[in-house]
Amino acid sequence: MARDFDGDTDGADSETATETASGPSREQGRTVRNTIERRGIVGLAVATIALLLGIFYYPVATVFIDSVLVDGRWTAQVFVSILQDPFYFGELARLLSGEPVGAVIESIRSPDRRLGVIGFTTYQAALSTVASVALGLPAAYLLARFEFPGRRTLRSLTILPFVLPSIMVGVGFVATFGRNGTLNAVLGALGLGQVNLLFTLEAVVIAHAFYNAPLVARVTTAAWESVDASAVETARSLGASPFRAFRDVVAPQLYPSVLMGAALTFVFTFSTFPIVLALGGFQLATVEVFVYRLIRDLEYAEAAALALIELGISLGLLYAYLRYEARHTVQSRGIRPLPRRPLTPPSLSVRELLPRMGLAVYAVVALAVFVAPIASMVLASLSGPEGLTLANYQFLIDRQTTGASFQVQPWDAVRNSLLFGVASLAVALPMGVVVAVLTTRDYRGRKLVDAVAMAPLAVSGIVVGLGLLRGLVFGVEIGGSRLAVGGGLAIIAAHAVAGYPFVVRTVAPGLESIDHTLVESARALGAPRARVLLDIELPLVWPAVVAGAAFAFAISIGEFSATIVLASGTNQFTMPIAIERFIGRRLGPATAMGVVLLVVTSASFLLIDRLGGDDVGF
Amino acid sequence: MDRRSFLTAAGATVSVSVAGCAGLGGNDEASTGASSTDESTADGTSTGDAGSADETLVVGTYSAFVDSPSTSPGAWVKQRFEEEFDARLIWQTPSNEVNHYIERRNAGVDIEADMYLGLNTDHLVRVDENLDDGLFADVGDVAGQDDIKPGLQFDPDGRAIPYDTGYISLVFDGTATTAPETFDGLLAEEHAGDLITQNPASSATGRAFLLHTVKQFGPDGYLDYWSDLQDNDVRVLGSWSDAYGAWSGGEAPMVVSYSTDQVFADQNDANMAEHQIRFLNDQGYANPEGMAVFEGADTPALAREFMSFLLRPEIQGEIAVRNVQFPATESADLPEDYAELAQEPPEPVTFGYDELKGSVSGWISDWERQFASN
Repeated sequence: MARDFDGDTDGADSETATETASGPSREQGRTVRNTIERRGIVGLAVATIALLLGIFYYPVATVFIDSVLVDGRWTAQVFVSILQDPFYFGELARLLSGEPVGAVIESIRSPDRRLGVIGFTTYQAALSTVASVALGLPAAYLLARFEFPGRRTLRSLTILPFVLPSIMVGVGFVATFGRNGTLNAVLGALGLGQVNLLFTLEAVVIAHAFYNAPLVARVTTAAWESVDASAVETARSLGASPFRAFRDVVAPQLYPSVLMGAALTFVFTFSTFPIVLALGGFQLATVEVFVYRLIRDLEYAEAAALALIELGISLGLLYAYLRYEARHTVQSRGIRPLPRRPLTPPSLSVRELLPRMGLAVYAVVALAVFVAPIASMVLASLSGPEGLTLANYQFLIDRQTTGASFQVQPWDAVRNSLLFGVASLAVALPMGVVVAVLTTRDYRGRKLVDAVAMAPLAVSGIVVGLGLLRGLVFGVEIGGSRLAVGGGLAIIAAHAVAGYPFVVRTVAPGLESIDHTLVESARALGAPRARVLLDIELPLVWPAVVAGAAFAFAISIGEFSATIVLASGTNQFTMPIAIERFIGRRLGPATAMGVVLLVVTSASFLLIDRLGGDDVGF
Repeated sequence: MDRRSFLTAAGATVSVSVAGCAGLGGNDEASTGASSTDESTADGTSTGDAGSADETLVVGTYSAFVDSPSTSPGAWVKQRFEEEFDARLIWQTPSNEVNHYIERRNAGVDIEADMYLGLNTDHLVRVDENLDDGLFADVGDVAGQDDIKPGLQFDPDGRAIPYDTGYISLVFDGTATTAPETFDGLLAEEHAGDLITQNPASSATGRAFLLHTVKQFGPDGYLDYWSDLQDNDVRVLGSWSDAYGAWSGGEAPMVVSYSTDQVFADQNDANMAEHQIRFLNDQGYANPEGMAVFEGADTPALAREFMSFLLRPEIQGEIAVRNVQFPATESADLPEDYAELAQEPPEPVTFGYDELKGSVSGWISDWERQFASN
């Protein structure tokens, strides 16, 4: 699979080789180059599909098939019994098991109705989505519309929460929102009493917002930065008030991104797992908790069926979003972004002050939700029985220098995370761009293809792990010998598969909104498809490409379940695995490793944004 | 992200990779999976080096046994064993532990480990309920077996023998509360919201606590007890570390954990008043850990020698101290002061294999359905 990409690189090499030649071979070189540019996209598409089939769809299918193939017989019974089980489907299950509609509606309206695990999972995901959007949009507004020192750094660091292992978030949240936490200390000092947030649905929703509001913020910022200033200026010159210009010109270009952030947030929080039990408790158990338990107890039929139902709901929602996105693209040829306003008000008018005061209030909330938990993690890593200490970092150094070879070494974990991150990014970017191109062409059912291509975001991580074990690590018997796959390259491929949907989702809306006449004229002038993509389309959507790259990298850094399955030894472990291994009675060593992860990924995000350039049309 | 689930239902890995590991680490001797067996599976041709004795014993175990931030016995055991037996010991720590080997057997893939260390009664039940053919061989002739405390033997079919045991108890902060002496005491209003335990499906301590309630109230009564406990705001978190972390942060004064808690507290110079142990009804739920040889092991004789080695008095004592558990044998050499900090219950209780088989999944599933009914 990765070999296919090598083939491509070879092509590029021969291109440069022939470029320097002269006479007839230069002619030949041009032909080769044209061939590559003409076939480039097709080649990449084939490679992408092969990689997806090998590293994702086939392994996952080895698990899902257990839901319909039980003891060698095909059956739908497993699904039927889940659908009819009130524990999973609440009152709806009674409908599905044939009770009269009237009676069921009656009980749904009664206060002691049952949601079932799936109903409850949906409910908490919906609440989490609302909270994430509410906390994400003001950040996008700030980052896209205002200029202030450190803006670029802040924008780069927005997605930091995205990579944090749940154990770190747990530590940060207990220290911030716990009974003896920072929040209560501040409230107490202000004489405002106490709040008991932990072990409630609210705590879980806030934690989900901690993870996902950055996602909403980042994709919306990218869209906002791509809004063409001339359209707004035209509206203003035609007499539209600033508000109207926003509502009629800017907002329609933001809706798709906001909704995308919301849709992805829903999908992620729908399959949430460790954080719910860490901060909420078992009474708030979600579908994924039961998928995990069933797989652990080797009850594969029910586990697979439940995970498929979970996937169906997630993909259904993504499909609905994609249909919306396709219908609501605003075409533009814009490359001149809106000018940013200074954060310090130029005058003391209400119009200038009001938005800035709103942002000040938001800053206080953001401080509590995002900054305080992360600061608490750092503080925890520096705390020991006798106050501040570097002992936890000393532990990391000791483990590096004296640890046995079968123990996790911190530096190896950092190195592996970076290697896997960079390599998988190099694979995920072309994959994502090519799928974005394929799904923005006009053909029937393309949104269905798009939704299926998003499956790596929506399939239960537990199922992916088991699938990779069965499908790749155990391998298949071919002619008496066993072909199995594991190790570094497989990890890179798995990370690329997990991250590429982000590239698709950030790049596709941009491609869709590019004025088609631009592409058509270039093609009419004889430019091959790949050249048009590289010279015209990608530069126009560059902020989206960079945002997608940052997410793909973040996914790789945070990935756990596929990595631990595919790693061929402790020396292939990554930072999240090291953190998990370092959890003990005291949380110090694990949090110290977590801070290493924070620092390494922060630096990486800054670098990605710098390399990607800041401005449109870079 | 959220889908970065903390533990997957899948384990480790294999030596063959698409195109090698290209500098990302090939053959180190420890592995999460089976890469270690390169030499033993290289169809006998690559015997050039060493040539001689160096037999290799591959032992599957859970990761904390060889790699935990405080102490773990793995490195010490490996060193002592290799010195004495002129053999090589390789630890394998698949992330989903015993399930990894059940999966391999189910898929018809070779099991490259010779034995497993860290089996408990639940694991054996799971193995037997999911595999028609055996996964483990009869324990056979292992010197030192007779020293094992009779109450700890948990395999009626004689495959697994215990090498240590833990007791699950309450740990409480004596400066904030005094834990009740009985299960019923946990229902008192003064202890509302005071107890944190763990999901029985994903945590050994949580499972032990749930099983202890089944032991106490019977399969017909434990759900009623839990209903009252839930009314009294018991917290059931995901993992032991979730629970212990929240307890350490002062979210509640009591947590379900191990009765050796003070050993750790002492290592960290903590205030002992904040680390008190309570055995409810004077009982502690025993969680013996056992070892067994895989059927079809390459070096079964060496595996049995290793098991005898682990049962020797001096090794038993050292494992107990380094694993912060209790020895499985009567004859273990323990440091004099170990018992001061590591507390044993007046009355150990546990469910045997026969009681758990066919019942344990149902007990947990019924509990889940009651506790998480939304």
